[in-house]
Amino acid sequence: MPESLALLLSVAVFPGGVFALGLGLALKGVDRRLAARLQRRVGPPLMQPFFDLVKLTRKRTMIPDVACRAVFLGAPLAGVVAMLLAAALLPVPGLYEPSPALGDLLVLFYLLAVPAVVLMLAGSASGSPFGAIGFSREMMLMLAYEIPIVLVIVAVGLKTGIGRGEGMTLSLTEIVRYQRAHGAFLLDPAMWPALLAFLAFFPANLGIVPFDIAEAETEVLEGPLLEYSGPALGLFKMMSAAKAVVVLGLGICLFFPSGPDGLPGLAVHALKMLALMAVGVSVLRVSAGRMRIDQAFGFFLKWPLALAVAGVAAAVLA
Amino acid sequence: MSTFTIPVGPLHVALEEPMYFKVEVEGETVRNVEITAGHVHRGVEYLTTKRTIFQNITLTERICSLCSNSHPEAYCMAIEQIAGIAVSERAESLRVMASEIKRIASHLFNVAILAHLVGFDTLFMQVMETREIVQDLKETLFGNRMDIGANCIGGVRFDLDSKGLSYLAAQLLRLEPQLDEIVRHYRTNTSILRRTRGVGVLDRAAAVDCAVVGPVARASGIAYDVRTKAPYSAYDKLDVPVHTLEDGDVWSRALVRLAEAKTAIDVLRQCAAHLPEGPTGPRERPDVPAGQAIAKCEAPRGELIYYVRTDGSRCPERVKWRVPSFMNWDALRVMLADAKVADISLIVSSIDPCISCTER
Repeated sequence: MPESLALLLSVAVFPGGVFALGLGLALKGVDRRLAARLQRRVGPPLMQPFFDLVKLTRKRTMIPDVACRAVFLGAPLAGVVAMLLAAALLPVPGLYEPSPALGDLLVLFYLLAVPAVVLMLAGSASGSPFGAIGFSREMMLMLAYEIPIVLVIVAVGLKTGIGRGEGMTLSLTEIVRYQRAHGAFLLDPAMWPALLAFLAFFPANLGIVPFDIAEAETEVLEGPLLEYSGPALGLFKMMSAAKAVVVLGLGICLFFPSGPDGLPGLAVHALKMLALMAVGVSVLRVSAGRMRIDQAFGFFLKWPLALAVAGVAAAVLA
Repeated sequence: MSTFTIPVGPLHVALEEPMYFKVEVEGETVRNVEITAGHVHRGVEYLTTKRTIFQNITLTERICSLCSNSHPEAYCMAIEQIAGIAVSERAESLRVMASEIKRIASHLFNVAILAHLVGFDTLFMQVMETREIVQDLKETLFGNRMDIGANCIGGVRFDLDSKGLSYLAAQLLRLEPQLDEIVRHYRTNTSILRRTRGVGVLDRAAAVDCAVVGPVARASGIAYDVRTKAPYSAYDKLDVPVHTLEDGDVWSRALVRLAEAKTAIDVLRQCAAHLPEGPTGPRERPDVPAGQAIAKCEAPRGELIYYVRTDGSRCPERVKWRVPSFMNWDALRVMLADAKVADISLIVSSIDPCISCTER
């Protein structure tokens, strides 16, 4: 198979594309059901996110008169493409290693910022004042959580690099290989500060309670998403589903890529995502209330930042 | 930084009823608020003069669902004054019981909404589940979950036998520990505390200036409660403590409501323990002569005043009421000054605004 075709398949089918979307929507379904059960509700069917998406594709997209049409429609599309690309950049431990031609951890890091940027663009392009507030909130939150996540990536890169007797590595493939040979970072106490910082980062990146500040329904009516409907809203749903797969997958690659080879490895990978989703998303979001943006900003510049700095120090020294 | 205007309402997910706040914000901070009302004006006051005195009991009950017992209660008290009807002791106690049951449900509803507004939906579900005990109680005793139709002129339309009383006691026994748990959550949960302490503060002086009533006044340190200041029905025979807090913030208002729900359980038990024997209401419809009267009662949201004037005909000549939310929503200007955008809905909901009462 020529390499260009393999690249295309990795972005469009597996592990990006169809696979990432399907997995993301399935995870979302489990999350909604689990959260409902934790709140003593019955909850929707597990397939509900798929039904929602199908319903949205059959509706009309309303575009506000004051909206900037190109950006309004282009933003969600860019978000989905970025996330599918990012999913193809992530190794599936034991089954798939991304081609170096696609990029390394740095590229992935920038792609991870795209959904937030896209939401900001969408919010300001929609011409709604709530979108504008969502814009400023999303930006503040992003500024707050980006620094810790960079440091977490640096900590893991340094740890791997030092372990292999060279400088920092930015190749996720190498990081996964190293851990599969020498034991997962999850079991190494020196990496725990970085792990904790990551655990604080991903709810903010996924935009769930207590960090669903930019899209808070009871405050700014879902902010940037307020004016969206139909297929364009469906694209945002696809983006957030794929983003869940990317962010959870990144966490697994950075800290716990152990498992069997081949297809069983894929099953174990998906199970790990499910576990992380259940504990890190469902349980978290039913057990807390929303923070105000200033509180969240202060929180990220305190705990996760300190933990991430400690993580880098521990990775170098230990 | 320049300011821009955001519309909160008239239709807004965080407002249960239509009200329009034109909020000028500078970044995340509120600079000016304009309150526009009148979206659910239905002309009920006019309508009362087109219905007979007895039909109006049903009509006033439908002004608002959460205070649906207080409106007919005050209306009936006013008519009874005009007609000089004495209500039996048993009926008075039963009236107190109906209004206290409604009070628990109303307060729990508002406190639940607070949890929903800070994004803590689990607590919202828990409080609503607890409220369901009270809803079951209403449905069993009165046959309806919201509009309980308890009052008539000269008494009440329901009676409690030993079966009803034992069901009431059992439900209160179920309710009490759950309510205690809810109070504990609101006192200690970080998610609640960090969003509600020091938010939407109305200090005592401002509260006096705005003449706020009900839990809003009591959370600002004003111990004003119609049930103790001007006891009506059986309240003069009951021990009703008035709960006040000094901070005047969103949290204090929620805590006062929870404390009052706890007290309501106690009041219900006092009533049930000493329920006098006697008739519950008059056998026949009394004649209502020409005259005028004012009656007031403590609705869940505060002091509710009814003025009724009759001319001896079948219909009242004028019915006018002043609802607690009318007094309280002016204080929103004070509470919303320099608030954060994130807190607007929280502050508005903390006065428990009843738009349909106020705009009728």
